[in-house]
Amino acid sequence: MSTVAEHEYQAKDYKSDLKPIWCPSCGDFGVVSAIYKALARIGRPPHEIAFVSGIGCSSRIPGYTTAYGFNTVHGRALPIAQGIKLANPDLLVLVAGGDGDGFSIGGGHVPHAVRRNLDLTYILMDNQIYGLTKGQLSPTSPRGLKTASSIHGSLEQPVNPLLYVLGYGASFVAQGTPADMPGLADIIEEGIRYPGFAFINVQSPCVTYGQEDQQLRVHKQKMQSLKDLGHDATDRLKAMALAQEYGQSLHTGVFYRNPEPPATFESAVKELQQRLLPEAHLRVDILKMFQAK
Amino acid sequence: MRNDLIIGMAGSGGDGIISAGESLMTAMAIEGYHAIMTKSFGSQIRGGESSCRLRISTDPVRSLGGTLDVAVALNWEDFLRFGSELPVGGRTVVIYDANTKVPPDKLPLTEVRPAVAIPVPIQETARQHAGTDKAKNTVVLGLLAGWFGLAREGVLAGIRKKFSKKGEQVLQGNEQAFAAGLEFAAAHPIAPDVVIAPPKPAKNGKTLLLDGNEMCAAGAVFAGCEFFGGYPITPSSEIMHFLSKELWKHGGTVLQAEDEIAGIGAAVGASFAGKKAMTATSGPGMSLKTEMLGLASIAELPLVCVNVQRGGPSTGIPTKSEQSDLFQAIFSAHGDAVRPVLAPTSVQDTFRITVEAFNIAEGYQTPVILLSDQEIAQRKETVPPINTSAYHVINRRLPTRSELEHYVRFRITDSGVSPISYPGLKGGNYLASGIEHNEKGAPTASGDVHARMNDKRIRKLTPLKHRRDLFDIEGDHHAPLAMISWGSLAGMASEALERAQEEGMRVKLLVPKLLFPIANEIYRDFFTGVKAGLIVEQSHQGQLYRVLRMYVDVPRGMQSVTRSGANPILVEEVVARLRQLTLDLQRGRVPEPEPQLG
Repeated sequence: MSTVAEHEYQAKDYKSDLKPIWCPSCGDFGVVSAIYKALARIGRPPHEIAFVSGIGCSSRIPGYTTAYGFNTVHGRALPIAQGIKLANPDLLVLVAGGDGDGFSIGGGHVPHAVRRNLDLTYILMDNQIYGLTKGQLSPTSPRGLKTASSIHGSLEQPVNPLLYVLGYGASFVAQGTPADMPGLADIIEEGIRYPGFAFINVQSPCVTYGQEDQQLRVHKQKMQSLKDLGHDATDRLKAMALAQEYGQSLHTGVFYRNPEPPATFESAVKELQQRLLPEAHLRVDILKMFQAK
Repeated sequence: MRNDLIIGMAGSGGDGIISAGESLMTAMAIEGYHAIMTKSFGSQIRGGESSCRLRISTDPVRSLGGTLDVAVALNWEDFLRFGSELPVGGRTVVIYDANTKVPPDKLPLTEVRPAVAIPVPIQETARQHAGTDKAKNTVVLGLLAGWFGLAREGVLAGIRKKFSKKGEQVLQGNEQAFAAGLEFAAAHPIAPDVVIAPPKPAKNGKTLLLDGNEMCAAGAVFAGCEFFGGYPITPSSEIMHFLSKELWKHGGTVLQAEDEIAGIGAAVGASFAGKKAMTATSGPGMSLKTEMLGLASIAELPLVCVNVQRGGPSTGIPTKSEQSDLFQAIFSAHGDAVRPVLAPTSVQDTFRITVEAFNIAEGYQTPVILLSDQEIAQRKETVPPINTSAYHVINRRLPTRSELEHYVRFRITDSGVSPISYPGLKGGNYLASGIEHNEKGAPTASGDVHARMNDKRIRKLTPLKHRRDLFDIEGDHHAPLAMISWGSLAGMASEALERAQEEGMRVKLLVPKLLFPIANEIYRDFFTGVKAGLIVEQSHQGQLYRVLRMYVDVPRGMQSVTRSGANPILVEEVVARLRQLTLDLQRGRVPEPEPQLG
């Protein structure tokens, strides 16, 4: 599994030369910085990391790291990331994308990624708006929100990513904000270290199209550490109760952490491969089983 | 004695018609005959009508053949539902259950009076000897073995093997039902010439017996496939079934994904991670996978995507064959996405074409569409032993140590192919993306870079246009009359060619296994001196004809012969068209091309 680091890594070792296309002060700058920090603490060399994303402002993120990146198509980062992890379980695989990418066009993949439980870390950069396409409704936009595509106000109930993922049965669910950089780096590190599918919802504000009350300065006043609240992160039902407050409160930290991580999909695959290995024949002999008899 | 026998049988789902066909085929294969068998069903999940067509020959068989030599109807309603799939002609021997109470001179067949029609108390015999209707198929096997000399001992051995697990009583009942069938045939002789000739001595090695989906999956394992991602869909699921049994043993993984998109997505991911990867589907799944094919094209990732074609559009006819996804295979996905398209022509050919699909995918870093179809995929064929060690396996070109010092993933090379790294390889780090990128992989909106990268991605496939080994050409090289056919129709076309040549016609046949990119020179050479001919396909529009008209100077006299799926095109029909064209040419008339649609 994790190789011993050849040397101490620093955050800058994970930062690429590409200049982000994000608007100045975009929340995503904070997210990528927190990822650099978390990766440096974990100390895996960049070439052993695969960073997969979909489409959207936030999905540009793999290019800003020195890892192997894959900026894929809209909504499909999770299936592609699972293919990568299954092809090479030794890799550290990160997935990132926006709320539209993950919970609208790609929403059908989330429950299956959760139930398969590959050791992936999925960082959702949730800004409640479509930024790249210039300000339309997103699945997490609050009801009534007026946007370019909802001139008269949204008529829909938003998705609650935290509650969905808890409901799907995820073993690690957390939330952070770039308003609390040390806290964000901590939960990303913890998510990566968690042996199984880890979901981290990051409230990452859109400075151009986002709502006034969703900006970092508001986060700074509003955020409430779950630890400080005395939340027991092994209590799934309590976690779900707290997750209900998505959209009103801004809880940061770990909502749920299954203290007994279930076996990962890739470990079950390895077991099956090893069990069947004695039945293996040479690939050149594959047709022999079809001899008429 | 005869060298070739085509049997068609139909009954209700529980009649065991297909299992009878399979038993007969296995026995004949062991004896050294060549055979092809197809199954056909109604749309019901269980029960309903089912049928099989079995062609047995002393020589290699290329197609299902046309009109039946022997028709077996356990009841007429079910038999007639298969229409042109089970064509009865003037020389057909018709065997049917006497319990249908249809007199032999009043068969419910339109405009056909078969040579011989024999009512047989099939159900009654089954009940009498085995005490169950379930033994009707065993009676049928006895009749066929008796009348046509089909592997009497082999079939009996098969019956014993099959029923020995079900207890002494069942076994004895079936042995008696079989014997009763034989006796009935002996007591009601037809004519000595219906008996099949003894098999010719077999070459070295044991005959294989399998269907096209199994062959495709086995070819994938041979080629080094390590990852399969897919979603169940008729008629391709058997590829996933075989791999889910086998691939693990080779250190590979099979993922039944949550949908078609995730299936191909996981395969694209596995390929990015350095593994040979495959997905398989049919029409509706292909429609969903299209965006990922574009991604694999621009990210230059090897991938084999199998489409087992069925009747379309939309849900269409899931259980029947058609060749109507060629446009989709070539042109789907937005942008200038170009990808190789290969089509096997038989179960046997599916091995080679699948290995080739992987080799091209890996060698050129591109998605490859393997266009199979329901007929090849689900028909069983006797295949002579394949010397697999004679096949080369190509792996992707990895960067050298010096290339890794300043690695440039999408470097524009002379061939257009750039060395490809994979996560885990130190120094090979890069960004793969669906967004246009420069040579290093950095996203760009530069028109200049875009043009050069498009050129690289398309140019790299050029050598494929010269792969003459992916084109079968038969017949008289200087013939004025030509035929082109592809996929599962190629065997029929090859037989039509032979028949036409026997009649003295000067004709030749081209069968492309590589359908895209279009091999202009190969077509140009083939069309030299051609005055007229046929492009024969199983679709309404004649998609290959229209693609060729787009890329190649097709002689004006080449006609498109098409028919929608699930309606066989028969050798006789094609030969008749060739005869007409020969006459036209003799009279100095060149037929006009088909008008374009719309």
